[in-house]
Formats: sequence, C-alpha cells, structure tokens
Amino acid sequence: MILFIGFFNTVWDALGRFYHRLGSPREFYKISNVVTPIFGILFLSLSLVGAYYGLFVAPADYQQGDSFRILYVHVPVAWMSLFVYVTMAVAAAIGLIWRIKMAFVVTICSAPIGAAFTALALLTGSIWGKPIWGTWWVWDARLTSELILFFLYLGIMATYYAFEERKTAEKAAALVSVVGVVIVPIIHYSVEWWSSLHQGVTVFAKGGPKMPASMLFPLAMMALGFMFYYGYALFLSMRHTVLKNEQSSRWVKELAQNAEQATHS
Amino acid sequence: MSPSQRKRLGIIFLVLAGVAISAALAIMAMQSSFEYFKTPSEINTEGFEKNQTYKIAGIVRKGSLQRLDDGITQRFRVTDCEQDVVIQYTGLLPDLFREGQAIVSVGKFTDEPALIASQVLAKHDENYVPNEAADAVMLQQANKCDQADGPIDY
Repeated sequence: MILFIGFFNTVWDALGRFYHRLGSPREFYKISNVVTPIFGILFLSLSLVGAYYGLFVAPADYQQGDSFRILYVHVPVAWMSLFVYVTMAVAAAIGLIWRIKMAFVVTICSAPIGAAFTALALLTGSIWGKPIWGTWWVWDARLTSELILFFLYLGIMATYYAFEERKTAEKAAALVSVVGVVIVPIIHYSVEWWSSLHQGVTVFAKGGPKMPASMLFPLAMMALGFMFYYGYALFLSMRHTVLKNEQSSRWVKELAQNAEQATHS
Repeated sequence: MSPSQRKRLGIIFLVLAGVAISAALAIMAMQSSFEYFKTPSEINTEGFEKNQTYKIAGIVRKGSLQRLDDGITQRFRVTDCEQDVVIQYTGLLPDLFREGQAIVSVGKFTDEPALIASQVLAKHDENYVPNEAADAVMLQQANKCDQADGPIDY
C-alpha cells in the first residue's frame, strides 16, 4: 500500500514537472523536438493500417455496399472536430485563469486544425449523403450544429487576428473559445434530442457498438491515427508560433545563429 | 491558487453557466423548429393543413407499394407501427427503398389524406452489417411491425 502511494506520488510529481516544463516556451520547444516526429510516425503508421483494413479487409455493408467506406474518414474527422474544440476551450480557460502563455498558444494553434477537421466532416458527410440519403444537405439538427461549429472556429481565428496587441488578441480569442463550448454537447446529443435525417450513435451505442468487429477495428485505427495527426499538426504550428512570439529572447536568437552557422559551414 | 486566480476561475465559471443556461432556454423555446420530421402518429393526432409543407418519416409498410397507371407514380404507406400515412411520389425512389426501411417524405397534402411528395429520402439507421447477413437482416426489417407493440424508433 505504502509502495503504491509512493509510486503514485512519484508519477504525479513527474507529470507535474512535465506540465510545468511545457508551460515554458523554451522547454516546450526542446520537448517538441523529440515528440513531434513521434506523433507524425504514429499518425502515419496507424492511419495506413486503418486505411488498408478499411479499404481491403473490412466487409462491404449489406445495403450501402462499398460506399460505406467513406465512414473511415468521416467518423474520425467528425469526432476530432469536437475533440479539438474541447482541447482548445480547456486550454483557453487555463490560459485565462492562470495566465499561462503556452495555453493561449495551444488555443490559437488548434483553431485552424479544428476548422479543417470540421470542413472535412461536412464535406465527406455530403459526399456520403448523396448516394445513401438522396441529398447533399438537409437542415437537420446534426448538420446545422456542425456547420455552426465550423463558423465558430473561423470566428475564433478572426477574433485573434482582429487585435493589434497580441495579449489582448489571445484573451479575446480564448474567451470566445470558452463561451462556444456549449455547442459540443448540442452537436453530440442532437441526434438523440431531436428527429434528424442523420442516424443515431453507432459506436458508443447503449448495449455495445452496432457494428461488427471487422468493421470496427479499422475505425479505431483511423481514429487513433487522426488523434496523433492533431498532436503532430498542433506541435508543428506551436513551434512556429513560439519562435515568432519569443523572437526577441536570447534562446531563440541562439537557435537562429546556430542554424545560420550550420548553413554556412 | 491565489485569490486573483480564484476570482478569474469564478468569473469563467459564471460566464459558462450563463451561456449554458441561456442556450438551454433558447433551445427549449425553439424546440419544435429543431425537429426535422414528424411521425405518422403525430400527423394523425395533430391533424394537418392543406398545402403546407410537411416532412414525414416512417418505415415503409410491408406490401403497401403500388405503381399507378402512368408507370412512374408510386403510392405506399409509411408507419411507426401505430399509425400510417399514405405517400404518393412521382419519380425515382432512393436505392435503399424497401419494406421496413425508414423513409423521409417531403411534400404537401392536397384534397385527399395522402402526402403528395416532392422529395423522398432514405434515412439510414445506425446499424452496419456485413454482406453475408443481408437477407436475414432485410427479412427482420420487413417484419419489424409484427413484433412491435407500440410505436417504434427510427
């Protein structure tokens, strides 16, 4: 028991130290040197496995045939559109309460990625809807709320770029992110609360997924892969933003000098 | 946590609570406008007005599909296993159209109690089934109302 508590404490302390290190731009940059490529490799390998199994191994659906396979992109990007928003809003709240520089960077860098996921979800849904439903678009609760999410992402980006001063811009964009988080449960529960053309929950349905394991496995792989893609794209974007924000600090100047020497030698 | 941080946490919490409550109130006030379709039971209990556009969803009643003399007009019944509505549609029905399949019909009621549909959409459900089990599932779907006691969800 004491051993267990000791172990837990050590892990907790390590996590705490890691979190505080991430809070400093310089430390984040060091960590991201290592972590970013790992995220990229995980994204590539998982989504390649998922794509192969989804396209060639999973059986065709009994009524949609092969056109159901667009689900292996549509569902992960739709999940990610919500996941990115929640991450962005939590980071924004942390930034506003504890005034942590890096939290705002997470918020600002997440917005374009989330917007891209949302746009992809709307687009792939449309492409699937035409042959299956018989229409590209309907104004039901699920589709409409997802479209609002897309505009929300754009609004957060627009808010950030509307201010001259960066600190003001960060706070304003963070506040919009926090306020907008109510859309997430609305999107998720829209198919339960109201009648819609969009179907209900398949994977997290009560009583287990309404899909055989042979179809579910590639979906899980794709979903994990896209999760790591978010990490990869976010860290790349954050590295760029950190260098830009800290360009007058000594460690960035040293980095630039080293890079310059490397190109001249 | 310092007092100033606690204060900011409180402010964020209050702002979020306020937004959540106002969103909930707005949603409750506009509840009916978020509904995409009505069920046959709702249409039959609430009644309907002529020349108003309705979206009605139900599953295609077994053995109800008939083709009219012009060859391109179909009449069929949609049901929630409680009540039916007759739909008349001129044109190509969706690929997924079959007995037991949920269908959304958009159109108007004219002189008779049948919806003259301008658009018929298939409503895909949340079930995914491999090809080899297709026949069993389709049979089960077609006979959905035989086992149902009361209105079904779709």
